[in-house]
Amino acid sequence: MKEIVVGFIGNPNCGKTTLFNAYTGAKLKVANWPGVTVEKKEGALKYHDIDFKLVDLPGIYSLTSYTMEERLSRQYILDDEVDVIVDVADASCLERNLFLTLQLIELGKPVVLALNMMDIVEERGMEIDLHRLPEMLGIPVIPVCARKKKGLDVLMHAVAHHSDNIKDEKIIHHHPNHKNSEHIHDHHDDYTVVYSDEIEDNIDLISDRLVEKYPGISNVRWNAIKILENDEEIVNRYSEVDLKKIIGKKTYEKQVVNEKYDFIEEIIDETLVNKNTKAAGTEKLDAILTHNIFGLPIFLAIMALVFFLTFSVGNILVNVFNMGIDALSNAVSDLLVSANVGETLTSLIMDGIIAGVGGILTFLPNIFILFLALVFLEDSGYMSRVAYIMDGIMSKMGLSGRAFIPMLLGFGCSVPAVMASRALENPKDRIKTILVTPFMSCSAKLPVYVLFSQIFFNQYAMYVAFLMYVVSIFMAILIAVVMGKLDKKKSQNSLLIELPEYKAPNAGSILIYVWEKVKDYLSKAGTTIFIASIIIWFIMNFGPSGLTDNISESFASSLGKFIVPLLAPIGLGYWRIAVSLISGIAAKELVVSGCSVLYGVSNINSPDGQQIFGELLKTEGFSSINALSLMIFVLLYIPCIATIATIKNETKSWKWTAVSVAMQLGIAWITSFIVYQVGSLIIR
Amino acid sequence: MRDMDAFSCKSGTKNIVSDIKLNTNLERRLETLGLTAGTSFEILNKKRNGAIIIKVRGTRFAIGKDIAKGICIERSDNI
Repeated sequence: MKEIVVGFIGNPNCGKTTLFNAYTGAKLKVANWPGVTVEKKEGALKYHDIDFKLVDLPGIYSLTSYTMEERLSRQYILDDEVDVIVDVADASCLERNLFLTLQLIELGKPVVLALNMMDIVEERGMEIDLHRLPEMLGIPVIPVCARKKKGLDVLMHAVAHHSDNIKDEKIIHHHPNHKNSEHIHDHHDDYTVVYSDEIEDNIDLISDRLVEKYPGISNVRWNAIKILENDEEIVNRYSEVDLKKIIGKKTYEKQVVNEKYDFIEEIIDETLVNKNTKAAGTEKLDAILTHNIFGLPIFLAIMALVFFLTFSVGNILVNVFNMGIDALSNAVSDLLVSANVGETLTSLIMDGIIAGVGGILTFLPNIFILFLALVFLEDSGYMSRVAYIMDGIMSKMGLSGRAFIPMLLGFGCSVPAVMASRALENPKDRIKTILVTPFMSCSAKLPVYVLFSQIFFNQYAMYVAFLMYVVSIFMAILIAVVMGKLDKKKSQNSLLIELPEYKAPNAGSILIYVWEKVKDYLSKAGTTIFIASIIIWFIMNFGPSGLTDNISESFASSLGKFIVPLLAPIGLGYWRIAVSLISGIAAKELVVSGCSVLYGVSNINSPDGQQIFGELLKTEGFSSINALSLMIFVLLYIPCIATIATIKNETKSWKWTAVSVAMQLGIAWITSFIVYQVGSLIIR
Repeated sequence: MRDMDAFSCKSGTKNIVSDIKLNTNLERRLETLGLTAGTSFEILNKKRNGAIIIKVRGTRFAIGKDIAKGICIERSDNI
């Protein structure tokens, strides 16, 4: 038997993904829709010997064509790729969800309505007339509860049945307003939504013209309604039908929408019992969480907690992880020795691959905890409140309210921070946020500040390190403001976001989501970072004369000497420093270990080591102003390989990745140049 | 009475939309959310910078200042 393709569609926050996950579990294929960065999830299911392919469509409010998600979903359904549509509706918020349902029914494809969150409906003492609702809609209506995995079999059963016969039930209406209809056809037996005479007359006129100009056209009624609504895409497709000639100047888009909502009100009146007994839990919580005065501190406290969990509890796990990686690396080392593997290959595996990829893997606990916390906030409904709470402050910087979260996380690690930019809906806002985030001083840069500020600034060391954070925030704000100014199309502050009901997050969905992120991260460590580690190992261990133990004969040192002239104007014209900065591209901590290796100071972080290192630098003419310039440069220059890979992954664009790298490098150089030159003038 | 917009309405009021004056894209987005002329909505919260939380057809939305200014109101009553 043929595989049945089922498209899952629904409003945002209707529990569609939870329902989808309830069927597929973690066995789903995540890809992107062709050409865009909207995720496409697919899963397979076997039920009663029938194969189903489930496709999760983006969460949308309507099937107009004003957002990318809407266009995608509509095109996918129209392209005949899908056999049955499962329209997931939040039963506790039926009035809103039915708008999409009516549009889907109008499309003429088999639709099954899955009424999700029936448990909440019952909790609130509401009742939905499950006999009358399908009668009025003309499609099967199946109550489900995705979180408790109830009604799943019945829903698939309905889907299997509904895939072959489109109309089996007669639609029973009694519209009080339509009693005196004078429209020549009575559509009430055929269509769910029947409009007023004026609109029905026009639909007939347009339909006739469509059939005449485009013989063989399918979905005539839907296309006619879309033309009447002045839907850009459809109007262009059937450009030979001149709307103005048929109906004159009047526009009907608002009326079509309004009449759909009128019908929804009718449905609600007839099928929803006790609709006014809604629990006010969400409103009570919102009175506190979105409070004009308390909202902000509460949010900051929550973020502080997330930050704490990610980077302190996370770091405990990181240590455990490190021990595991050390054990692995020792085991591999023993194995390589006993297998008599050559020195070069051993070095490649140990110093290159294990050190490089292992170093990235150690971030895994941080990433895991961070995403656990973020999904928890998202799933509970709090995240959309953040957009409201932070809207004023962030919009002054030309950023969306939600951009605050990635920026704050940037203080920990740019990798999860850039990944967290997914919380932003608008692609333009996402790019801006991704470009700004790496300017936040990540925790790996701290060892560099500590080392150099202690050597050169003695008792003021702490203030100098703190200054770096101030510079970091200042730069991020500056960049955001400048980007906002550069943006020609002055984007309005178009905050428009649903604040869903608060609910207890679903453990299954959270785990699946976090697992997806971790898998993403691991596959990146396995590819991009693997290759980058090998390249960096190669330039550090090979020179013009082949393999070398002496780093000063390596390609890295040639490269370092080559860029010395570039770094001289900013006070960093020392080849060892240059090489350290290059290795810092792999990970920022490596700037310190690079210095340690190149200057031959093994205990560089101890007081003795610092003193020796300081003396060595001072004999080279490297003074406190050079140190300040170095710290500023490390703060602002290229993000590490892992971050670059993440930026590429999230923007899906080499162009933006290159822009990010070039911009940071440029800004770092200019800022260090100013600091060094001005500083030198003052000191001399 | 002078034309009002959602931006000038107070928190805790029930308002009726008279017209939406925004760019087509935003106007259509609001329309599909059911915020059309004649619809009534409540303002649940309002921030000093002008962002508001409204409840329309059973759903809460946070709306920025610029959008709020484009939603014209024909009457506004305290709940």
